[in-house]
Amino acid sequence: MSRKTVHVICISVAPYKMNGCRTFYSTVCMLVSCVRGSQTGRQGPVRAASARLKEGEDMALLAHVDTHRGVETAFGKIIPEKEAYSYCLRTIAAFSANIFQVMRILNDSWEDRTEAITEIANMMNCAACAGGDDELFQYLDQFYDEWNIPELVKRAAWIGAIWGDYGVEAEDMAGRVIQFTENRVEKELDTCPWDIVGSEMCNMTTGMFTANFDIAAGGEHGAITNDVQLNMCEARGCGNPHCRVVAERLDHFNLDHQGWLDHRGAAHAPVHDTPPERRVKHGQGLRNGQYVQAFGEENSLEWQYNWVAQMGWVWSISFPLIAIRDMADNDDEFERILRIVFATAGKNSFIDFFAREGLRAWLDIPREIGDNDPRVMGAYIDAVLGCQLVPHEWEAFDADGVEIRVSQEDFEGRFEMAPLEEITMGYEAQWNGACHTLVSPEWSVWIAEDDDDYIINVGRKIDDRAL
Amino acid sequence: MLFKEDEVARAEAKAVRESAGWYRWTHDLVEVSGPDAERFLDWMLVNRIVGTPEGRGKYTTMLDEKGEIIDDLVAFNRGGGVWWLSTLYGPHAVRWFDAHREGFDVSYEDVTHAWDMYSVQGPNSAKVMDALLDEPVDELKRFQIVERNVGELAVVVDRGGFTGELGFELYCKREDSVAVAEAIAAAAEPFDAPRLTTLEVYVRSLPMEKGMALRQDYKGLTPYEANLGWSVHLDKDFFGKEALVAAHEAGEKRAFVGVEIERESYEDIAQKEILYKRGVPRGCVTQMIYGYTVDKNIGFAVVDAKRCPVGTRVTIGPNDSPAIIVEPKWC
Repeated sequence: MSRKTVHVICISVAPYKMNGCRTFYSTVCMLVSCVRGSQTGRQGPVRAASARLKEGEDMALLAHVDTHRGVETAFGKIIPEKEAYSYCLRTIAAFSANIFQVMRILNDSWEDRTEAITEIANMMNCAACAGGDDELFQYLDQFYDEWNIPELVKRAAWIGAIWGDYGVEAEDMAGRVIQFTENRVEKELDTCPWDIVGSEMCNMTTGMFTANFDIAAGGEHGAITNDVQLNMCEARGCGNPHCRVVAERLDHFNLDHQGWLDHRGAAHAPVHDTPPERRVKHGQGLRNGQYVQAFGEENSLEWQYNWVAQMGWVWSISFPLIAIRDMADNDDEFERILRIVFATAGKNSFIDFFAREGLRAWLDIPREIGDNDPRVMGAYIDAVLGCQLVPHEWEAFDADGVEIRVSQEDFEGRFEMAPLEEITMGYEAQWNGACHTLVSPEWSVWIAEDDDDYIINVGRKIDDRAL
Repeated sequence: MLFKEDEVARAEAKAVRESAGWYRWTHDLVEVSGPDAERFLDWMLVNRIVGTPEGRGKYTTMLDEKGEIIDDLVAFNRGGGVWWLSTLYGPHAVRWFDAHREGFDVSYEDVTHAWDMYSVQGPNSAKVMDALLDEPVDELKRFQIVERNVGELAVVVDRGGFTGELGFELYCKREDSVAVAEAIAAAAEPFDAPRLTTLEVYVRSLPMEKGMALRQDYKGLTPYEANLGWSVHLDKDFFGKEALVAAHEAGEKRAFVGVEIERESYEDIAQKEILYKRGVPRGCVTQMIYGYTVDKNIGFAVVDAKRCPVGTRVTIGPNDSPAIIVEPKWC
């Protein structure tokens, strides 16, 4: 169980001068850390990731070392893959939480805004396989094949439950299918990175699940046509210990069709409440290094990480934004409020001295770099981008300022079919606000265009009308 | 997930063990034909396919080039050079055959969309089937497959199943499925044989108690590690044989075993949950379930063969559920 020195097999070099040499290079590249022996105990990695030595490359002891992936900070520290993955999820959730605050400013009716985002989430999920019946069935067959969902589970009726299970698991909700019968499915989730976003999202996710039922039933796209009531009868985002999603067949339980606001109702059969001692703190990916769905299909944590780094932006931000933008009188109004909300969120990120000290420890920022140094902010932005799997390059990293180059396509198009210009607006305001408390108000963050790229700048800037 | 308090699931399990129960049980179905069909399947599958009489079937595994299991299935000789492969991985099988058909005059097709399937299981299943069909099937041998009628509807029936009880599987055309289901329900009623609605009862609980595993349990193991050495015929050639022989000669490093946990339930144990011996990972659980016949939380696991013999005390999952390694069959 002894953990040995980290051996770097494949390296991306941090920009900060280490051992007298400096190489500028992207820190997004995955780096490999190694742990001696294959069995490292509970806290250690238990499963080799993809970056093994190739067969035949027998380098004495290294040949027997398992390898793991991570993200390198600007100062050479390795953020382990699981930690980077968790942080990625939480940053996406935080962005989503900010967007939902914008929504709450624009619309003071909980019912109105919840209905709007639930409907749009349902429509967009249905649109994912819009087309004729042939296309729909082709889409479903491909899905069944990919996830090996056998016909014997009556998949046409219960795909929502199966699909939902894999979906939330992949998004790190430690879901378990408590009950799976022809008339009822109950799922219970102990953790959710999105539990900070708020109650509208808890209702909204049922709109997506309902879409999955509708798709499988082959009904009218975008309408509730299925014969199931779907309730998130408990939600962590509302203070419950669990999220609990229950789907119950209308005919069996003598129920009515639901409207968009009806998805937080109670279950119609007793629920199973897992006792605290058997709840889990992490989803399968973090616990076991992989996700395995009910029928044994396996996906690596690496796959799951990539999936979430794309799709997390789509369902939790892109879809609700369609409705939220419509709540503003015009685009200028929406963007004005968005910038204010994100700037405030940024300032509050590092208002506490221990938050600043914590960041320094996390990124391993050396003491010779003082508090009032732009590299502290640059390293933070680099870590966010790295953990979000956004490729980027250093243009400058010294006491005079930091410049990070990232392609506009990579920065805004986390899922290439749904680019989000709000990412640029939001992060520019948030990082600028954060810079004022993390470093000092002498330093600012702004994002400039350079052909097809963005340059994220941390520099001195005087703005007489600063937010 | 099943819990001991679930009286509906318990009643369904009890019905199959003591009388009979029935349920939709549609597997993927790959139809193989052509002059070389038999020879092709004999090459692709581990068990001996050549010589399988018309109207009979064989359980077998299919291996990759490493000699590890990629599927387990039943191959039925339907006569006239036509074979049916009953699997849960039809599209996978077709792609695998595509990659390895060179030199064989063979054709195959995933016909899953054309056929629906029901299963009637339990000691009284033959009586239900005889009441349902135009001719009796109670004399069928295991994996024998015949053509029958339900009223005017043509069906195909084999003696088989996945509960460890006497049982039958009935194939019907998709368009006849509702009528056939109604007919089964009517035939089952006098025997108090319910339609099972709890998936986990007939996919996991009933089979696991009898030591019957899914491909998801066996995947990546050799047939020897999976306790399926009886189906390996080294006196014939088959895909993956060379690697399998080498692995067998080197000695099996993994063992397919059973586990019993001592806690009330297993909510924190997912598929592939890690199993620890004295805090060190030594394998993983492939699935867990509650067994209503044996009244225990039971599971299958793949473990380090040397370090985890039967009787070894282990823990499973993030909350250290105490468990013991047992033989992978409970009744």
